[in-house]
Amino acid sequence: MICQNCNKNEANMHMKRIVNGRAAEVHLCKDCARSLGYGEAFTGFGFGGLLGELLSKGEQIGSSVRCSFCGKSFEEIAGDGKMGCAECYNIFYDKLLPSLNRIHGKASYSGSRPQKEASVELRIEELKVALKAAVEQQNFELAATLRDRINDILAEGGEQ
Amino acid sequence: MGAKWYLGTGAQNDVVINTSIHIARNIRSFPFPSRLSLPEKLKVNSVIRDASEAIDDYSFNYAEMKMLSQSEVVSLAERHLVSPEFASSRDGRALLLTEDEAVSVMLNEEDHIRLQVMYAGFALDEAFKTASSIEEQLSRKLDFAFDDKLGYLTQDPVALGTGMKASVVLHLPALVSTSQITKLIATVSKLGLSLRGSYGEGAAAKGDMFRLSNTITLGISELAAIENLKSIALQIAAQERAAREEIFKTPVIEDRIYRAYGVLKYARMIDTNEFMELISLVRLGAVKGLIKMDCASIEALMIHMQPATISLSVDRPLDRVERDKLRAAMVRQNLG
Repeated sequence: MICQNCNKNEANMHMKRIVNGRAAEVHLCKDCARSLGYGEAFTGFGFGGLLGELLSKGEQIGSSVRCSFCGKSFEEIAGDGKMGCAECYNIFYDKLLPSLNRIHGKASYSGSRPQKEASVELRIEELKVALKAAVEQQNFELAATLRDRINDILAEGGEQ
Repeated sequence: MGAKWYLGTGAQNDVVINTSIHIARNIRSFPFPSRLSLPEKLKVNSVIRDASEAIDDYSFNYAEMKMLSQSEVVSLAERHLVSPEFASSRDGRALLLTEDEAVSVMLNEEDHIRLQVMYAGFALDEAFKTASSIEEQLSRKLDFAFDDKLGYLTQDPVALGTGMKASVVLHLPALVSTSQITKLIATVSKLGLSLRGSYGEGAAAKGDMFRLSNTITLGISELAAIENLKSIALQIAAQERAAREEIFKTPVIEDRIYRAYGVLKYARMIDTNEFMELISLVRLGAVKGLIKMDCASIEALMIHMQPATISLSVDRPLDRVERDKLRAAMVRQNLG
């Protein structure tokens, strides 16, 4: 059997786990198992540090991409296990996916959803509050991102 | 202290102490709390506070944690209204709290919003209904961070998805004294739930109080998670009742209960650990009809006898000796 992660080496680590109610089988080669953190599958399972622990074992670290919204880098997320903002999930989605799968399984979301998408007025109003706070803080990078977002929403609204 | 939620009596209260639902939410247009400066946190607090004013049927008191004394904050944690983590660092954090303390919202804890709804006894459906209604009303005023595949987004990716944690607190003295608890904790973890001490962790759980919670937040709906929790809680409650039948077959337990009652009734000094150990036995005796005390007042006593809450009741810091003396006096008074 070939490793599910690199699709190259022979898989020699086989794990069966029940995640979110479903049995999931994982077949990995030694190197991928280690880099995905499976080597320590049976050791401590701290809550806060879990993600940081997982991510810091990944090999993708070294890029200096920062979140365009909050400015947090992937290394920093790996360092403290905390996402910087909602946009971080978008920007680092591919890098996060192996860890998310490890924490939650490959399950997809099936819970409740917001009743309806937030109205344009509400989104703009909130962004303006955030913009004001960012300017007061002299966080001009974030302020510029927020301003662009407001303009994007207004442009979308204008087209409709 | 006025009429609080825990003064009511709930279903299954021989074993189930209380039920709580926690919901985590974040506002899309602000970074998560760990990336916010102090003024930005205060801004987030005021945005959420404004939104909370439009909630029907509930009116909240608002408090900046910075404005409260250390004892007041620790007491909030002892009453399970805020997390110990929330109490440990107060800058930029605030609390919305209803008068009866049944609904609390921590602002800028791990997420912008941590809503908690508490009911006495076994009331998962009711607590969830209340929590959802409040969440839904907040969502009309706030744009929550949500992703189609991942659900509600949280600062810690472990909590994302439904962002919901449902818990019941169980009194399990018979499962502890028959040493079944360790095995139960292990079994429960395989079912996507966790069982831990409600006052103090693991085997050192004080007062034999344990919190059973769901741990899965992705790939399962809120209602399915609650149904799962409900059925396991009822099974554990049934096991506890069976274990109680067993231990009451010898006279030893009855003797321990009356001795515990005697010590509580006449002690002149008592620390938290001893108090919790003895009150657990007294509660068991009360449920069995040996001791005339209602469960709600025992629960209230457990909450009021925690160290910071005791100090608050006299409005000045107490050293250990003073506190243990005061605790003994208050317990004697409550036991009549």
